[in-house]
Amino acid sequence: MKNHTDVLIVSQNEVPSFGYLCRSVTNSSDGRRELEVRAAPSRKRSGMEIFMNEFSRRHPAVLFLYYLLVLFLTMFAVHPAALAASFGGAFLFYLAENGVKTAMKDLAYYCGVFLLLAVLNPIFSHNGETVLFFMNDRPVTMEAILYGAAMAAMIVSVIFWCKCYQTVLTTDKVLYLFGKTVPRLSLVLSMSLRFFPLLKEQAGRIGKAQKAMGMYAKDSLTDRLLFHVRLFDSLLTWMLENAVETADSMKARGYGLKGRSHFSLFRFEKRDGTLLGAMGILTLGTGAAAIGGMYRFHYYPGISAMQTGLWAVASDLLLVLLFLLPFLIDVKEKILWKISLR
Amino acid sequence: MENQLAVKHLTFSYGEETKKALDDVSFSVKKGEFVVVSGRSGCGKTTLFRLLKRELAPAGVKEGEIFFEGTPQEALSDRQAAADIGFVLQNPESQIVMDKVWHELAFGLENLGEPVSVIRRRVGEMANYFGIHQWFHKKTADLSGGQKQMLNLASVLLMRPKLLILDEPTAQMDPIAASDFIATLKKLNQEFGMTVLLCEHRLEEVLPAAHRVILMERGKIVMDTAPGQVSAGLKQMEEKKDPLVPVLLQSMPGAVRIFYQYDCPGPGPLTVREGKEFLAAHFDCRIKSLPAEEGKTFEEKEKAISLKNVWFRYEREQPDILRGASLEAAKGEIVSILGGNGSGKTTLLHVIAGLQKPHRGSVQIGGKKISAYKNGSLYRQNLSLLPQDPQTLFIKETVREDFLEAAKLVWKTPKDCQEQIRKVAELLELTPFLERHPYDLSGGEQQKAALGKILLLRPEILLLDEPTKGLDAWAKQGLIRLMKQLSDQGITLLLVSHDVEFCAEVSHRCGLFFDGTVISLDQPQVFFSENTFYTTAASRISREQFHQAVTCGQVSALCKENGFLR
Repeated sequence: MKNHTDVLIVSQNEVPSFGYLCRSVTNSSDGRRELEVRAAPSRKRSGMEIFMNEFSRRHPAVLFLYYLLVLFLTMFAVHPAALAASFGGAFLFYLAENGVKTAMKDLAYYCGVFLLLAVLNPIFSHNGETVLFFMNDRPVTMEAILYGAAMAAMIVSVIFWCKCYQTVLTTDKVLYLFGKTVPRLSLVLSMSLRFFPLLKEQAGRIGKAQKAMGMYAKDSLTDRLLFHVRLFDSLLTWMLENAVETADSMKARGYGLKGRSHFSLFRFEKRDGTLLGAMGILTLGTGAAAIGGMYRFHYYPGISAMQTGLWAVASDLLLVLLFLLPFLIDVKEKILWKISLR
Repeated sequence: MENQLAVKHLTFSYGEETKKALDDVSFSVKKGEFVVVSGRSGCGKTTLFRLLKRELAPAGVKEGEIFFEGTPQEALSDRQAAADIGFVLQNPESQIVMDKVWHELAFGLENLGEPVSVIRRRVGEMANYFGIHQWFHKKTADLSGGQKQMLNLASVLLMRPKLLILDEPTAQMDPIAASDFIATLKKLNQEFGMTVLLCEHRLEEVLPAAHRVILMERGKIVMDTAPGQVSAGLKQMEEKKDPLVPVLLQSMPGAVRIFYQYDCPGPGPLTVREGKEFLAAHFDCRIKSLPAEEGKTFEEKEKAISLKNVWFRYEREQPDILRGASLEAAKGEIVSILGGNGSGKTTLLHVIAGLQKPHRGSVQIGGKKISAYKNGSLYRQNLSLLPQDPQTLFIKETVREDFLEAAKLVWKTPKDCQEQIRKVAELLELTPFLERHPYDLSGGEQQKAALGKILLLRPEILLLDEPTKGLDAWAKQGLIRLMKQLSDQGITLLLVSHDVEFCAEVSHRCGLFFDGTVISLDQPQVFFSENTFYTTAASRISREQFHQAVTCGQVSALCKENGFLR
C-alpha cells in the first residue's frame, strides 16, 4: 500500500470518468507524477441514509420543543391570522419535504375535509347575530359558518403538522429524547422496533411452509381460520426461542453490568442554538403581544373587529415568522446549495 | 508464548442426562493463535464453547477447570468476563438486539458504561474498518445475512476482546459471504494478533488459515494437531482401526480427501493450489477419464415439472424476478439449480409450489396445469416443499406429534401412521429424538426432522430449498444417499442450493440460475468442468490433468487408475 503522507496533491480537480474520479498527484519522494484513481461515490440514493431536509437535521430536543410550541399555538388559536399562519407554515413545510406533486394532491383532499368540517358547525350551532337564511326553520348564522371554518382550519393545520412530524421526529430521535429519562423503556422500544419487521417476515415464511404442506389448505372458512390459529401458535414458539438467543447475545456483551451509558449520534451544534434562540425570541414576542391583547378575537355573539395599526401587523408578523421557520430553513438551505454548486 | 486460554480435564453433563456432553477435555490456546474446532454436529463443540464464556455457560454438572490468562474463570470480574472474551453465535439474526446498525455497534460499549465521546470514536473507527459506514444508518432488519454476521463480529470486536470465540458463524451464510467472513477472521488474526477459537463445518477455507485444528467426537478430543498433519493423524487412527476415520475425513477439504491414501513427505496438501501441485508431481495421468457410467436417462420419461417462459414479480411496479424461466424435470430425476443469494432461486421454487402466481408463462405439475389443482389437491401426495428454515414446519410439542399430524393426512388408521413414523424415523436416524421438542434439536437434526415430516406426506415431487444449510459433511452424505434412494423410487427432486460440492454429487442435472432464468442446464460432469469459478474443489484441482472429474470420488478413482509415483 502507498503511504499517503508522501503523496503531494498538486491538483485538487478531480475528473470523473467511467465512474471513477481521477486526479494527478506528485510523489514527493521521487517527484514522479502519478494518476490517483478512486471509485466515484454512487449518485444513487439507495436508502442507505434516509434523505432529510435541513430542518429535520436539527437536534431532536429543539425539534421536539418546536413541535410542542406549534401544536399548542395552533390548538388554542382563535385569531384568523394565527390560523392562517399555522396552516400556511404547515403546508409550505409539507411541500418542501414532499414535493409539489404530493403536496397538491393532499391539498385537494384536505380541501374536501376542510369544507366538510366547516359545514358541520352551522348545522349544529345556531348562535350568532347575523342570520343568513333559515334551514328547516332553524337559523344559519354567518358567525357559526366562520367559527366552523376556523375550527376546520385548525384541524387541517394540525393534520399537516403531524404529517410532517413523521419525517421530522423519527423513532430514533424519540428514543434518544426519552432514553435518558426512562432508559429501560428506550431499550425495550428499540428492541421491539427491530422485532416487528422480523415477526412479520417469519409469519410470511411459516404461512408459505404450512400451505405447501397441504395443512388446512382448503378454501373453506374454517380451514382458513384454523390455519391462522396454527400460524399464531408457531410464531409464538419461534419468538420465545429467538428471544433466548437474543438474551444470550446481550449477556455475552455485558448487559446488566452497573453504570450503563447512552450513546447517540446527535450533537447539539451552534445552529441548533441559533434556532432555539430564534424560537425563544419569537415566543416571547408573541407572548407579549398576546398579553397586550393583540390576538384577542371572538366569533359569538358577533365577529369582533380586527385590531389594526402597526402593532397589530407586527404581532401578526411574529406569528407568521414562527410558523414559517421550518419552511424558511429548508428553502434557505436549498438556495445555498444551488449557489454552492455554481 | 503465554496461554490465552487453558482447559484442564473438563467434564460436563446436562442436569437430567447421565451421558457426558464433554468427557475429560484438555487443551490450551496460545496468544495470537488461530484454532479451529471441528466435528460432527452433536459432538459437544457448542457445549464446550459455551462453557468457555461464563455468561453463556449451560446449567449442568461441571468438573475440571478453565483458565483465562492464567486466572480461573470463576475469579474473573464481571467486566473482564464480558469484555475480554468475545463470543459470536451461530444465528446472525437472533443475536442482533437494536433496530439501527449504529446503535447495535454501540450496545456493548453502552453496557460497559463508556462515555459517549469514547463510543463515538471507537464505533467510527470500527465501522470504517469493516466497511460498515455504508450502511451505518440502516435498520438491522434490512441487512443481508452476511452483513448481519459482519455486524455481530464488529459489535463484539468493539469491546476489544482478547479472545474471540465463534460458534459456527458461517453456518447460515452463502459461500461467498462465508468466505468473506473467514477472510476477515484471518486478517484479524494475522494483522492484529487476535486469538481466534473457531468452530466450523466447512473446512475448505478455514484449515489453510488455522494454526491448529482440534477434532472432536462424542465429547472427546480425538485429534489436536497442525492442519498439515491432519492427514497423517487420520492415517494413524486408521491403523488402529478407528471407525471414526471416514466420518472425520468427510469434513476435510477436497485436497485432503483426494490425497489421503497417498504418503507424501512433509505436510499434506490443503488448498487447491497445493492439491494441483501434488497431482502434477505424483501422478502420471495417462488415463484422462473414467469409463462412462451407465447413467440414467430421463429423455423419454414423463415430465413431472414443466415450466415454460415464466415471468414473475412481487409488485406491479417492481422489476421481474423470473424473466422467462423455463425448466423441465422428468419423473425420478434429481435437478439442482445453483445461484447466488438473492438471485430469485427461492422465488422459482415458490412459483413451482403454487405459492406465487406468475403473470406470464405456464407451470405444469405432473402434466397438469397448476391452476387446475383446487382446494390444496396440489399438495395431496403430489408436491411438497422443504423450506429453507426448517422451524417454519414445526407446530407441535414433540417431533412425534409433528410427524403424526403429517402422517394422518395420508394414512387412515393410527396403526399405519405409527408404522410409517417409525420407518421414516429409522431412515433418517431420528428415533432417539422423537419425543423431544423440535426446537431443542440441533440445526442439522431440525433439518432432518423437517425432511421427515415432508416425507410422511408421500410426495411424488419434492422441492428442496437449501437442504444442506447447517448440515455437517457427514449428514450431507446421508442426505445424498437418501435423495438417491428417493429418486430410485420414482420421486422427482428439485433443489436450489449454493452448495457446489453437494450438487455435484447428488444431481442428475445441474443448472445455473442467473438474471431470472435457468441457464446452462447440464449433467454435473459437463456443468462443473465447463465452469471455471462456480465449480467444485475437485474439479479445480484436477481440470488440467483429467477430463470431467468433478467429485472427490471421481478424482480419487482416476488417481488410483493412474497409479502413484513417488
